[in-house]
Amino acid sequence: MGRRHGRAGQDVLRRAGEASVLILISLAAGPKHGYALIQDVKELAGVELGPGTLYGALDRLERLGLIEPLPADDRRHPYRITAPGAEALRVHLDSMERVTAAGRRRLQLGGV
Amino acid sequence: MDDPQTARLVRTVLRCYPARWRRRHGDEAADLAALLIRDGTPAGSIAWSYLAGAAREWLTPSPGGRLSAVACALLAAACLLGVPAGLVASARPARAESTSQARPHAHCRPAPAEPFPAVIPTAGRPQVSIWEAGHGRSC
Repeated sequence: MGRRHGRAGQDVLRRAGEASVLILISLAAGPKHGYALIQDVKELAGVELGPGTLYGALDRLERLGLIEPLPADDRRHPYRITAPGAEALRVHLDSMERVTAAGRRRLQLGGV
Repeated sequence: MDDPQTARLVRTVLRCYPARWRRRHGDEAADLAALLIRDGTPAGSIAWSYLAGAAREWLTPSPGGRLSAVACALLAAACLLGVPAGLVASARPARAESTSQARPHAHCRPAPAEPFPAVIPTAGRPQVSIWEAGHGRSC
């Protein structure tokens, strides 16, 4: 398990980067290994993760205790989201929703 | 990776990672590169992504919270090289002013930097590539 867990309600993913958030969203649907993650993220968000970025984000998320590796399947290591990871993702998505709603309201108010 | 040159390129780039990273991800990373190349991703893009990842890996503090000795050496080397380069850069305008014959040559000007392609076009919806993720740290 990782070293740091955010306090309840704190958005620990705020500065984690888009790749980390997309990986967590992908893992929320079930465990995946690297190649499956890249394919899923491409399909769900139209974003092609570079392999170097992928492993960097996976290591970071693991250090934070937001994901954990499963026993290796052949040479591939699947990862799954942890309970703190699911909670962190929920908090981050709530925060993004609030920001999105505020942005849309302001666009309407501004008549842009 | 059917092409031996491509395989060698990826293997070479993967050797740039720290040993602990290679022990953990090395085999899988090579397999992943092979799969991505098979899917049509340019080998150069993959190599570049791994190269950037390796640089980040060396410069990121290890889980123990200490900068590795190699990262310290790299930083020290950068500082040593950076100081003389800064001195040369600051001295150059003064020298140029002192000689009235300094003329700019169009063919000597550096070409505008070619940005690394940030978007990989694919059929259907627009695709965006993330080849570098923020660490959420301010230096």
